[in-house]
Amino acid sequence: MKRELFAFLRYSAKRAITLIIVVILAVYATVIIANMGGYVDEIIKIQTRDSINQSVFQNPAYQHLSTEDKKKLADELYEKEIEALGLNKPFIYRSVGYLFSALSLELGKAMYLTSDSGSKAVRAIIVERLPTTILLFTTINLMLFFLSLVGGLFLSRKYGSKLDKAVVSLSPLSAIPGWFYGIFLILIFASWLRLLPYGGLVDVPPPQNPFDYALSVLKHMVLPVSSWLLAYSFIQTYTKRTFFLMFSSEDYVEMAKAKGVPPRLIERRYILKPTLPPIITEFALTLIGSWMGAIVTERVFNWPGIGTLFYQAASFMDSPVIIGEVTIYAYLLAITVFILDIVYAIVDPRIRIGATGT
Amino acid sequence: MSVRRLKENFKQLLAYKSAVAGLCILGFIIGLSIYAVITIPYEEAVRAWRLGEDISINNPRNAAPSWINLFLQKNLPETIIIDTLKRESGARKAVVFPETGNVGALRIELPFEFNYDDFPSELNLFLTANYSEIMPYITIDWVKPNGETIRLKEMVVKSSDRYYISIDDELTKRLRTYLSEKVGFEVPYEIPPQMALFAVEDESVLKPETVQVLKGKYKMVIVGTLFERQSNVDCRLVVYGKVFGLAGTDHLRRDLMVALLWGAPIAVSFGVLASISISFLQMIIAAVSAWYGRWADMLLQKATEFNMILPFLPILMMIAILYRLSIWVLLVVVIVLSIFGSGVKTYRAMFLQVKELPYIEAAQAYGAGNVRIIFRYMIPKVLPTIIPSLVLSVSGFVFLEAALAILGLGDPVAPTWGKIINDAYTKGALYQGYFYWVLEPSFLLVLTSLGFALLGFALDKIFNPKLSEM
Amino acid sequence: MVKPLLEVKNLRTYFKTRKGIVKAVDNVSFSVKKGETIAVIGESGCGKSSLAKSIIRLLPRNICTYEGEILLENEDLMKLEEKEMNEVRWAKISMVSQAALNSLNPVIKVGQQVAEPLIIHEGVDKKTALERARKALSMVGIPETFAERYPFELSGGMKQRAIIAMALITDPDLIILDEPTSALDVLTQASIMNMLKIIKGKMTKTFMFITHDIAVSSELADKVAVMYAGQIVELTNAENFYKAPLHPYSIKLMASVPTLRTDKKLDFIPGTPPSLIDPPKGCRFAERCPWRFEKCEKEPPSFLVKGDSIVKCWLFESKGSR
Repeated sequence: MKRELFAFLRYSAKRAITLIIVVILAVYATVIIANMGGYVDEIIKIQTRDSINQSVFQNPAYQHLSTEDKKKLADELYEKEIEALGLNKPFIYRSVGYLFSALSLELGKAMYLTSDSGSKAVRAIIVERLPTTILLFTTINLMLFFLSLVGGLFLSRKYGSKLDKAVVSLSPLSAIPGWFYGIFLILIFASWLRLLPYGGLVDVPPPQNPFDYALSVLKHMVLPVSSWLLAYSFIQTYTKRTFFLMFSSEDYVEMAKAKGVPPRLIERRYILKPTLPPIITEFALTLIGSWMGAIVTERVFNWPGIGTLFYQAASFMDSPVIIGEVTIYAYLLAITVFILDIVYAIVDPRIRIGATGT
Repeated sequence: MSVRRLKENFKQLLAYKSAVAGLCILGFIIGLSIYAVITIPYEEAVRAWRLGEDISINNPRNAAPSWINLFLQKNLPETIIIDTLKRESGARKAVVFPETGNVGALRIELPFEFNYDDFPSELNLFLTANYSEIMPYITIDWVKPNGETIRLKEMVVKSSDRYYISIDDELTKRLRTYLSEKVGFEVPYEIPPQMALFAVEDESVLKPETVQVLKGKYKMVIVGTLFERQSNVDCRLVVYGKVFGLAGTDHLRRDLMVALLWGAPIAVSFGVLASISISFLQMIIAAVSAWYGRWADMLLQKATEFNMILPFLPILMMIAILYRLSIWVLLVVVIVLSIFGSGVKTYRAMFLQVKELPYIEAAQAYGAGNVRIIFRYMIPKVLPTIIPSLVLSVSGFVFLEAALAILGLGDPVAPTWGKIINDAYTKGALYQGYFYWVLEPSFLLVLTSLGFALLGFALDKIFNPKLSEM
Repeated sequence: MVKPLLEVKNLRTYFKTRKGIVKAVDNVSFSVKKGETIAVIGESGCGKSSLAKSIIRLLPRNICTYEGEILLENEDLMKLEEKEMNEVRWAKISMVSQAALNSLNPVIKVGQQVAEPLIIHEGVDKKTALERARKALSMVGIPETFAERYPFELSGGMKQRAIIAMALITDPDLIILDEPTSALDVLTQASIMNMLKIIKGKMTKTFMFITHDIAVSSELADKVAVMYAGQIVELTNAENFYKAPLHPYSIKLMASVPTLRTDKKLDFIPGTPPSLIDPPKGCRFAERCPWRFEKCEKEPPSFLVKGDSIVKCWLFESKGSR
C-alpha cells in the first residue's frame, strides 16, 4: 500500500507542477493579447486625456483661469494620472507586473463595471458572479452525467432494441448547441405559453423568504437546464452505451462469466470499473466545454454569472475585467484538468503506478 | 483511397436513410448558397445590409413574411406605392399654367384600392420639387371610400421633402377629435393616423381591438400652387404593409431574404473551411510528432496542454472585441487557436500505431524520406478515419460563428444568420411577437447543422464500423 | 467399469450468422474418467473452443441450437437453470481460456481476482480467501507478494500461471484448458507444461486440454480426441494415438510435426477445412484424404471401433469391432 501511495503522490506532484507552468504561460499570453502589446494603453491614455480635458474645461471652479492656465492644469493632471496608472513605463515591464498580479488574483479595478455591492475591485465583481455560474453548470453537468450513465448502462443491456435505435437516431441533435435550444425553449415556454420566465436568476422583486427564494431560482433554472439536457443527453447516453458494449466484449468479462460471477457483480466490477477512465474523460471534457458554453447560454437566459459578466465587460471594453475573467477561466480549467488527472489516477491503477510492467 | 473504394463507400452511405436525408439537406443549402452568390454579388449584399434604411425606404418595418397570410384568418396588407413618376402605379397629375404669368395650378391624385383586413403599418409621402427660388405650396387631402375628405396638411415643398403622416402629432389629435365627434363618444386612446384614416367610422373605433378597416377606393388629393413656370412637384405615397416578401423585414426595413440567402454561403464556407483546415493541420502536427518522436513529441504534448488550459472562447471573444475583425480573419484566428486541440492527441495515437506497420518499415528500407513517408503513407492511412469527425465538426463551427454574432462580436457588416438573430434579440423580437425574425434564421441554422450531423454520423458508421456494428 | 466423471452425449451447438447456420459442434460424444486428462486436438476453426464453451455454457447471443447431454457426475448440466449453472461454474468446472493475456481485469489486483471464486462459491471471508489465493499463487510459482500487484505488472507467463491458480483454487472436478500456452514463447510454454504435469501428479485432477499442438498435448494426455470440422474423428488412448494414429487426418497431423532426433520429411495436408455452415455430405475429411474412395463422399462414416479406439472412417469398416 505504501508503494502505491508514494507513486500516487509523485504522479500528483508532477501533474501539479506541469499545470502551474502552463497556467502561468496561458495567463501571460492573455495579458499580452488583452493589451494588444500596448495598444490598449494608448486607448486608455486618450480616454484619460479626454476626460481630464472635459473635467477641467467644464468645471465651474476653473472658469476664472485663462485658457493657457487651464491647459497647463490639464497637462499636470494628465501626467499625474498617467503615472498613477503606471502607463509611462514601457509595456513589457508592466506586462510582467500584470502577470504576477493576475496570478495572485490581484485583479485590479474595473474601468466601468461595478459589483452589486458597489465595489470596483475586479475580484469582488467576479467572485460575486461565480457562484451562480457554478450552480447552474454543475447542476447541468451532474444531471447529464448520471442520466447518461444510467441510460447507457440500461441501453447496453438492451442492445438492438427499438429504444436503443431511437437513442442512436436522436444523437445528431447534439449538433445544435444547448444555448440554441435555449432560444427556442424561451420562445415556446416564455413568449408563447407564458409558463416560465424569460431569464434571470430570480423573480423581480426577489422573495424575502429563503425558501421561496430557492424555489424561484429553481423555476428560473428549468429552461437553461432543459436546453442542455435536450442537446446533450442523447449523445452522451449513446457514447456511454457504446463504451459499455465495447468493454463488455472484453476477454476478462468472459472469464468472469466463466468463473460464475453473478451478472450484477460483473456489471459493476468488470464492465463499469474499467470503463471509468474514458467516461471520466468525457465528463471532464463536457465540464470544460460548459465553462465555454456558459458565456452564450448565460447571455441567452440573462443568467447573472461570469459568462454574462464577460459579455458585459466585452461590450464596455473594460479590459481589467476581461483579463480578470480570462485568468479565472484559465484557473478553472487548470483545476478541472488537475482534478481529472487525480481521479484518473485513483480509478486506473495503470496510471497510478505507471505502466512499468516487467 | 482509390476511386473504386470511394464509389463503394458512397454506395454504402446511400444505404443509410439518415445519410440520404443529410445529403438532401446539404444539397438544398448549397443550392441556396449558389443562388445567393449568383443573384446578389457579395459587395452589393454587404452594401444593402449596411445602408439598410437608406435604400430600403420603401419597405415596411418589421413586416412579417407574406405567406403568413395563409395561416392567419386575416389578410394582412402588402405595401402599396403610388408614384407620380410611374404612371402605371395609377397616379394622375395635372399642371396648368395660364398663358401669361408665373403662377400655375397643380393637381395630383393618388388613388388606390385598400381591401385588406388590417391597417397599414405606416404612411409616408415623399415629395420632390423643382424650382429656382420660390417653393411650391400644396394642400394634402385624404378621401375615404365613404366620401369623407380629411385635410391632412398644408405645406411648402422643398426640393426633397418627406411627410411622415403616421407620426404627425397634430394630425393625430385632429383625427381623434374628428372621430370622437363622428361617433358621439370620446375615443379613449391615441389612435394613430394610419388607423384613423382607414377606419370604419362607428362605435368599433372606440376600442383598439375592435377597429375595422373601411375597405374600398381611397384617394390622396394634392392641390398646389406653382410659382415659377419651370416648377414641378412629384411625389410618392407609400402605404406600408404588414407583410413583405418571402422572409419579411427587420427593424431597419431590410429585406431579410438578402441575409437569409447570403447567410448560407457564409455559414457553409466558414464551417467547412474551419473544419478542413483544423483537421488537416492537426493531422500534420500529430504525424510529425509521432514520427519524429522525442523532443518533437514532448513539445507537442506541452503545446496541447497549454491549448487545453487556454480558454478558447474567452480569448476568441477578447480578440474579436479588440480588433473588430472581419469574418475571414476571425476564421484564421479560430483555426490558430484550435490546431493544438484534443484532436491532435487522438491522431497521434493513431499515427503511433500506423508507424509500427510493416509497410512503413519497408518504405524506410528503400530510402523514402521522412516527409514522403508522412504525407504519402501515414496520412492517407489515417485519413478515412477522420472524415466523419471532420464532417461532424462543421456544425460546431457554424454555430460558433452564430454564437459570436449573437454576442455582438461577429463581423460587423457581413449579413449572417447569427447577425439576424442578434438583431432580433437586441430589439426584443421575442417580446414583441416578431417570431419569424428569430425563427427563419434559426431554422436555416438548424437545417444546415442537422445536414452535416446526419451525414457525419452515417459516415462514422461506415468508416469506423467497429463501434456501431457490435 | 468406473463411472466416468464427464460424459458428453450427442452434443450439438449451432450458431446463427448472417451467412447461415454454423454447425460448430456437430453430434460430439466422449467421456472422461476422474483423474484422466483428455487432449482435444484439431486445427483452428474445428470447433474445439466451441466445445469447451458448450460444456461450461458460455454461449454467445446468436446461439440457435444447443442440445444433447452433458453429464457431470451423472448430473445433466443441460437441464440446469442459469442460476444453478452459475453455481456449477468454477465450483465444479473451471476454464482457462485462450486469450489468457487479457483474461484478467486490469483494474483489480491479482490476488483479489484469484480469491474471488472462493468468496462467491464457498462464502469464504475476504481475509481467508486472500490467504488461500496467495498460497495458490505460490503453488504455481508466483511469489506471494505479487498478489498485491495489478495484471499489467505481470509478464505473460506469470499471468497465465495466475489464471491457472485461479482455476484450481476452488478445487473443481474438471478443468478445461483451452490453448493455455499458445500465446507464450517456447520457454514459458515448457515451464507451464511442467507445472501442469506436477499438479496433475500431485492432485489427481481431471483435465480437458484443448490444443492444436500435438507435441504439447503429448505431455499430459491420457486420452486423445481428434476434432475435425465440428466432429470427433478419432477417440483413443494416448499410447495408441502417439504411436499409431488411425484416422487419416490424425496420421497426416502426426506426419507434419517435426521431430528432434530423427530425420523426417515434413508432410502437410493440402486444401482447407470445410465450411461449418454447409459441411459436405459424406465424410468431411474426404476432400483432403489421400485414401478416399467412393463411399467416403456419399455417406458420413459412422463410428467404427477398433480395439478400444473409435474411428470415424470407412477404411476401418471391414475391421469392425472385436
